[in-house]
Amino acid sequence: MVIERIEAKLPGAILDRHAFRGDATITVSGPRFLEVVDFIFAEGFQLLLDVTAVDQGPAAGSGGACGETPEYRFEVVYHLLNLVNQERLRIKVPVADGASQPSLTGRFKSADWAEREVYDLFGIPFEGHPNLTRLLMWEDFPGHPLRKDFPLDGGDVFCSQDIGASFDPEARSLNA
Amino acid sequence: MADLRLDDSVMTTRLDSVVNWARKNSLWPLPFGTACCAIEFMSMMASRYDFSRFGAEALRFSPRQSDMLLVLGTVTNKQAPVLRQIYAQMAEPKWVVAVGVCASSGGMYRTYATLQGIDRVVPVDVYVPGCPPRPETMIYGVMELQKKISRESLSMRKEHIERFYASLARQEELQKARGLSSYQVVREMVLEAGAQGEQQIW
Amino acid sequence: MTPAFSPFLPVLLLLLIALGVGAAILVVSGRILPGLMKPNNPQPAKLTPYECGVPPLQGGARHRYSVKFYLVAMLFILFDVEAAFLLPWAVQYKTHLWTFWAMVSFLATLLVGYVYAWGKGALDWER
Repeated sequence: MVIERIEAKLPGAILDRHAFRGDATITVSGPRFLEVVDFIFAEGFQLLLDVTAVDQGPAAGSGGACGETPEYRFEVVYHLLNLVNQERLRIKVPVADGASQPSLTGRFKSADWAEREVYDLFGIPFEGHPNLTRLLMWEDFPGHPLRKDFPLDGGDVFCSQDIGASFDPEARSLNA
Repeated sequence: MADLRLDDSVMTTRLDSVVNWARKNSLWPLPFGTACCAIEFMSMMASRYDFSRFGAEALRFSPRQSDMLLVLGTVTNKQAPVLRQIYAQMAEPKWVVAVGVCASSGGMYRTYATLQGIDRVVPVDVYVPGCPPRPETMIYGVMELQKKISRESLSMRKEHIERFYASLARQEELQKARGLSSYQVVREMVLEAGAQGEQQIW
Repeated sequence: MTPAFSPFLPVLLLLLIALGVGAAILVVSGRILPGLMKPNNPQPAKLTPYECGVPPLQGGARHRYSVKFYLVAMLFILFDVEAAFLLPWAVQYKTHLWTFWAMVSFLATLLVGYVYAWGKGALDWER
């Protein structure tokens, strides 16, 4: 399995792992991440399927674990596919609040918009990205929507309240 | 001299009725299709439900050539100023039908990304509920619009259109004054109106 | 002595009536009736160019294009005018020595220009 090969070639890179019937996942620390990517690219994992992220919540710090709270706020998750033997691999990289990740656009074209999406929705910058601008929200949107401290309704009063507007007898008629 | 018996050969009527009859039976839609309701619209245009018999065979994807804006599907907050611009560019007489619950009220999407009903940003004449509405429901909605058109009068002032253009002017002023994009300005106008209890920015 | 009217007078009358009725129809259906029925709400927003609702491209849609189009157009004009001069000469050509050599000298002048353009690569489209 590829995880064993990574452990053999790059000892100490993998912080955590689990694999079950094809669902192979490894957690790699930030500084060793590019080495691991280079190695598995050479092993045949040449299709980057997705780049996404997980926000553990603002309580998670930028270092200094304390019981249940995770040490790093974000986890950037990469999904890769080996085109030769159809093996799949998930790589998780813990990223601190405010820290940046190296961009994989040099090696994988598909990283381009996927990293833009992560930047837009989580606020994680990617170093070396050719065009790191917002993708889904508009360019001057304030905030990063998928962070846990961003309200679901975005501050819109009518989202969260049931104002019963359709039954309002005072509602203005266009044909008055 | 024999009396002129007109009977069936001549109809006398008010100009309003004639004009309204012509307008309501030749509604050329602009299908502003963004999501699933557009698929139901396609089946409404197809032969089984045949929307063309209402004079609406001519689908015009240009605001200059259509008179009924059918908003079919979810409108996001990023799409809101686009919708406003399209509505602004339409020539009068114009009507808007909000098809589906996403266009009417934001539907099941109560989030930061979805506009909670297009009536926040443009004046709407008919709301058609459904997720998606069956073609018969949409046809019923257009028939209600036809009834509404037949109640109109040529001398009637369309206040909602005037208010819309005033809000468009306010939006452009804000954009110039604060140097923001139209997306952010419309979003702020919607949030501000919401904070004051007003549903609409026009 | 009865005055003689032209037999075509009724035709003139018919023409005038036809034009008059036509003009009346156009004016009534194009000006008077719409004036009664049309909505009148001129707004600057209605005159903006339609670009699917998004703000129009900054700086217009004009882009730089290759100079080879200009070169081809210019060369075409020159040699087309040369050919145009050739035609009236050919029409009234009678076998005189002077007539022939005059035209040959004209063509030779233009041939020099042609060889120059060829040598300079103006006829190479691909470069």
